[in-house]
Amino acid sequence: MRPEKLLRLLPGLLFLALLIAALEWAVNAGVIRRALMPPPSAIWDVLSDLVASGEVLGPLTSTLRLVFIGFAIGSGIGIALGTAMAWWAPAYRLLEPLVEMVRPLPKSALVPPLMLFLGIGDTMKITSVALAVTFPVLVNTLQGVRGVDRVLLDAARTHGWGTARALRYVVLPAALPFILAGMRTSLGLALIIAVLSEMLTGQGGLGFLILDMQRSFLIRQMYAWLVILALVGLALNALFAWAEARALHWQTRNL
Amino acid sequence: MAILELEAVEKSFPSRGGPAMLAMDRITLSVRDGEFLSILGPSGCGKSTLLQIAAGLMPPTAGTVRVAGRRISAPPPEAVYVFQQYGRSLLPWRTVRDNVAFAVEHRAGVSKGQAREAADIQLAAVGLTGFGDHFPWQLSGGMQQRVALARALAAEPKIMLLDEPFSAVDALTRLDLHRLMLELWEKRGLTVVLVTHDVEEAVALSDRVALLTKRPSTIARIVETGLPRPRDAVEVRETPRFLELRHELLDALLTRHAPGGAHAA
Repeated sequence: MRPEKLLRLLPGLLFLALLIAALEWAVNAGVIRRALMPPPSAIWDVLSDLVASGEVLGPLTSTLRLVFIGFAIGSGIGIALGTAMAWWAPAYRLLEPLVEMVRPLPKSALVPPLMLFLGIGDTMKITSVALAVTFPVLVNTLQGVRGVDRVLLDAARTHGWGTARALRYVVLPAALPFILAGMRTSLGLALIIAVLSEMLTGQGGLGFLILDMQRSFLIRQMYAWLVILALVGLALNALFAWAEARALHWQTRNL
Repeated sequence: MAILELEAVEKSFPSRGGPAMLAMDRITLSVRDGEFLSILGPSGCGKSTLLQIAAGLMPPTAGTVRVAGRRISAPPPEAVYVFQQYGRSLLPWRTVRDNVAFAVEHRAGVSKGQAREAADIQLAAVGLTGFGDHFPWQLSGGMQQRVALARALAAEPKIMLLDEPFSAVDALTRLDLHRLMLELWEKRGLTVVLVTHDVEEAVALSDRVALLTKRPSTIARIVETGLPRPRDAVEVRETPRFLELRHELLDALLTRHAPGGAHAA
């Protein structure tokens, strides 16, 4: 990491460390009840045990699997439908009411009915995640594809590019900044729905463990898993930001 | 022999609450194979619309467009359109070389390597050797327009349709591009149709200048420049014939603006 970047992060990191230290003091001094919140050092001990023993891996991969597969499927559907709706008016007229109906619905509310149809296995969880991912990607793709400069499209036409190739090599790259912005929103939603569906189905994964530990009064374990979940969210965002910067390297002209 | 023919081409646009607005009224124009023809007219007279119709990019409301004798309804392989907004017509995510390769890489039997080779040849022809790995936005406006020209050349067209391609660059760069355009036209036996509102540009480059009226536009007249070939885009401006044509066409343009006045268009 470059020194300037480290310097920029420093105040925030110091503040975080200060908060953790204050929490440690508050718990030890009896300001916060130990039964509700163990001292951060105790959480850290559990956390390092979980990592050292490798116990963290099973639940972690289980949750990440849901997120990645659901994210990939939902993004694919969102890009395909969004492009179709932007490009082909009949598709827009057909799908627009449905999309506007389902889009504002919190997708968490769809998990119970999906359980009726798909049971409590991975199919249901992945479907839930994919559903949540689809809409932000769809709406952004729709806008992005609609916003593609007519001049670019005409340039493709005058050079003899057919519609399919123009879509793949001109329209989608031009709409990519919009599509990726939608995907960034969806990535956060994917993690939320994955954790929620794990909580509701009780079959393992980070979401299940957080709820299960709370119900078993294993409060330190609950917080340890919570920290792991926070780190997963952080890592996913960092990974996406890196991929996005690579895909949009040509946008550096805006700097 | 005519390579591009417009016959009684009309274009009207729907207007809110009223009858359709007639932008172009029965324009008939025949472009000879190998000539350099300019379409000159005041701003907003629909010159670009006319060129887009000729390119098959926009359907006319009435009338026909023929390229090499065939009636067209989509962009024909013989013609390539070069846009005024070079910055918007290049793909910002592609390097200069890959932007030029865009003209041929989709064709059957052309490999990516061949397309890039073809691109490098055209980049050399427009004086951009060594800029292949740059991105368009790293180049100046004049250089970006050269990239757009190289891309059009890579398609190996018979006809180049130029939509005010030199209007957005500074005066010196414009003269530079004029010279380049004449050189390319002479070397490659192209047919060029140039749309412009710049009288000097039209006269200096063309064999014939078609003068459009303001909306609804029609062709007021067609002037043979009769200037010698090969010619230098700068030196030709000092000849008496050039000055005479400039005077005549400016006069016609300014009068046609009346009674709205000859204010800056």
